[in-house]
Amino acid sequence: MVVRESRRIRAMLAAACVSGLLVAGPAALATATAARADSSTGATSGTTLRVAMDSSGVDTLNPFTAYFNGALDLFGSIYPSLTSIDENGVPGPYLADSWTLSPDHLTWTFKIHSGLKWSDGQPLTAADAAWTLNLIMTNTVAGTANGTLVSNFASVTAPDATTLVIKTKQPQANVTYVSIPVSGIPIVPQHIWQSHVADLKDYKNDTFPVVGYGPWTLTDYQTDQYAKLDANKSFLLGAPKYDHLIEQLYKESDAAVAALKAGQLDYINGVNATQFSSLQHTGGITTAQAAGDGWTGLELNPGARTRSGKPIGTGNPALSDPVLRRAIAQAIDKKTLVAKVIDGQGQVAAGYLPPAWPQWNWTPQAGEEQSFDPAAANKMLDAAGYKTGADGIRVDPKTGKPLNLRLGIHSDSSNDSAISTYLVGWLKAIGVGVTIQPMSMTALNSDLGKGDWDMLMDSWTTGPDPTYLLGIQSCSTLPGDDGNGGNTDAFFCDPNYDKLFAQQATIFDPAQRAQVVGQMQDILYKADVDQLFYYATNKVAASTKVTGLVTGKPDNGFYPAQTSFWSYLKAAPVAQSASASSGSSTGTFVGLAGAVVVVGAGAVVVRRRRGADDRE
Amino acid sequence: MSSPSAVAEAVGAAPDPRPRRAFRVPRPGYLVTKLAAAAVSFGVTLVIGFVLFNVMPSDPVRTMTRGRPVSEAQLAALRVQLGLDKPIWERFFDYVGNTLHGNLGYSWEYQQSVASLTLSRVGPTLLLMGTSFAISVVLGLWLGMRSGWRAGSLFDRVTSSTALTLWSVPTFWLGMILLIVFSVGIGPIHGFLPTAGMSDPTLPQTGMTHYLDVARHLVLPALTMVLVVYAQYVTIMRSSIIEEKGSPYLLTARAKGLTDDAVRRRHALPNAMLPSVTMIFMHLGGLISGAVTVEAIFSWPGLGDLTYQALTIPDLPVLQGTFIVFSASVIIMNLLADLAYRVLDPRVRAQ
Repeated sequence: MVVRESRRIRAMLAAACVSGLLVAGPAALATATAARADSSTGATSGTTLRVAMDSSGVDTLNPFTAYFNGALDLFGSIYPSLTSIDENGVPGPYLADSWTLSPDHLTWTFKIHSGLKWSDGQPLTAADAAWTLNLIMTNTVAGTANGTLVSNFASVTAPDATTLVIKTKQPQANVTYVSIPVSGIPIVPQHIWQSHVADLKDYKNDTFPVVGYGPWTLTDYQTDQYAKLDANKSFLLGAPKYDHLIEQLYKESDAAVAALKAGQLDYINGVNATQFSSLQHTGGITTAQAAGDGWTGLELNPGARTRSGKPIGTGNPALSDPVLRRAIAQAIDKKTLVAKVIDGQGQVAAGYLPPAWPQWNWTPQAGEEQSFDPAAANKMLDAAGYKTGADGIRVDPKTGKPLNLRLGIHSDSSNDSAISTYLVGWLKAIGVGVTIQPMSMTALNSDLGKGDWDMLMDSWTTGPDPTYLLGIQSCSTLPGDDGNGGNTDAFFCDPNYDKLFAQQATIFDPAQRAQVVGQMQDILYKADVDQLFYYATNKVAASTKVTGLVTGKPDNGFYPAQTSFWSYLKAAPVAQSASASSGSSTGTFVGLAGAVVVVGAGAVVVRRRRGADDRE
Repeated sequence: MSSPSAVAEAVGAAPDPRPRRAFRVPRPGYLVTKLAAAAVSFGVTLVIGFVLFNVMPSDPVRTMTRGRPVSEAQLAALRVQLGLDKPIWERFFDYVGNTLHGNLGYSWEYQQSVASLTLSRVGPTLLLMGTSFAISVVLGLWLGMRSGWRAGSLFDRVTSSTALTLWSVPTFWLGMILLIVFSVGIGPIHGFLPTAGMSDPTLPQTGMTHYLDVARHLVLPALTMVLVVYAQYVTIMRSSIIEEKGSPYLLTARAKGLTDDAVRRRHALPNAMLPSVTMIFMHLGGLISGAVTVEAIFSWPGLGDLTYQALTIPDLPVLQGTFIVFSASVIIMNLLADLAYRVLDPRVRAQ
């Protein structure tokens, strides 16, 4: 009996241990570090700003080869650029105090700020900038990420420490956008990187602290977890108010929102509409919407063809008819999409360039707006000879086939699926049948390039310089005759558009350039190939313990575009109240109490079992 | 749960608890057969891995560079650099050759070798998966044994229904609920556990504080994994115990005057363990592939999430590389299971 009894005790102990591990574990471990200070103060000395890293994460810390936004944000913080983008979205001084353009529009001379030092104390001069840009121009690996930005550069030289001269092959209006924080070219220290040119492809740039110059210095990076940065208190454009910056990677945005509510995070740039609505009513959190820097819309295949005009792909030929495309545009109620799909957090779209960059703003002339009018759309199709068949689906007069269109949507986008269900109903009302085809992004891209599609959901964002976004609509981006190459967005091709595209690149007066860019947007609007639905706002959420994270003044309720560069630089801690820490220790006790209850319950169950054994 | 026929079968199959023979080194023939089978499996896996990822409709170059200002020439150069311009059979032979030389390739997306990418995530993956695996095995087998032995009792009903309920719960949902309750806090409960990652960047990354910190970060992801998977072990163990329970050899053991505990532990358990061992080894092989959902919710830097990210491009070298590592791990574990079976089950040894 003694043996039996000790077994029972052992079993009970085991039960207690297991349930203890499961339930008391969290509490016990919590007590071990419960005294941890609040997130905004941190355990290391000084104040710490904790922000959510862009969910794409960091692909590599090598600025010549990195593509991911998480990495680009870091480079914006730790490497300098020639110019910065000010709150109005136009280039302002950074390394360059000022710049001049020669009368022939080919030579740019940048005056580089003197007396700057890299984080290891070495002087930062125009030579570093010239070396970086030359490397990107001449070395294929170095040009991996940003080669296109310098493809029109003829030469870059540094005649002295404070002068940088860039000569371009053709006049180029956007030279001051080439090296900007985050989306432009980061300047790296020549004395560090010149020994890595040979192994540039494999160089991971993970010797900490990373030698650079910027508002922050990277002191640690843990793969897929976080980056730690220290403030550069002598930063040229003003010292950061925080001593440390931590960018933590949250793979799941709901988890980031949870962390913000739990006080473990101070800032998220880019929450979705649902999260935003919930955070608006959460204490201790401020929210803001910035004007959207991108659009969501629908592309129609206007007849995919190669550069020499050879048709390719399986697109429905009916869509080459502008009347049908216009009818589809008029059948879609964009206002409903804004209200229902993005909770009203955005604007109905018209112009191809998003409102985050107001200098390119374009709206259709009075009388030319395409409004939601299914009756007019039906009338238009009737007049064009699209007869309605027995099943309510119209017949293409050219081929005699019913108008059934495929609609490719991104399988991982909840917005796409919401929009597509509306589209099916709206297009049915004008006699067009729609089959929804959810696909992965990469499968969509593959179909797009081959022209194997009728309609695709699409969305694009752009930085302040619109050249690239405008470029993907030009004829030169169509694929070659072998079907390869090209990066066309929707097989749009219009010689007039291309002429304006070439023209705007050489106009140096911003207002004039904007006017030409406006004409290009007009062409796109009237072609109905890219039917833009809305510009969703960029939604940010921040702890009330931090001020300054949201930069700029709201216009019509929308702030200007928020960049990590300025947000982290201008963020400042608010004076702390004492109540926060007591709350967390109460939590520990509640947790402990809960654990005790559960362990106790476990013990009771085991005891009951023992009783049952004895009863037998 | 135990049908009469199942019991009857069990009676027929139950071996006598003969005194164990010492473990012999397996006949070379047996070992060679198993090794050859493993090699063939690996070969087939190589082919499947290649075909699977290459027939997927995809455009890696456009997807990778989307939103970046890349010219057409750059896209073309990238295609050449990634080897996408080569015919598919040439790519296949490159891939097989590289794999056999132990070279897993070079990630397109991360611009570094797949081996180094994988290595940096193996530690965290194994920490999370190993911990949750060990806990769920111990917990599941123990609960399964107890509830099987007293099938139909209150303890059995509570254990089995809890386990099955948790097994049916979506991992993602359970993870979010745990995150909200224990990290954010709900009502009177204040959140006290970290929401993401493996360690707190503000704390020193070495020494005891660091280990405790990692343990704190491990609690929620591991708990989620355990709660969702331990039911498998409970049900398997429970049903095998029920099968063994009616066996005549247990009657003999009882007749010898052994206590109930001793009968269960020394006689029923070893036989009932066999199906569980198979499953344990199967799962051991799968540990390294991580758990995509749990890693995503708790931002755990593991291999599951890496694979998922690679799939969106698709980053073929990463997919193929991790696929090889994952399959090799399963194949090796199956091989070990075959060998371990000889130790555990005298009947297999006779083969």
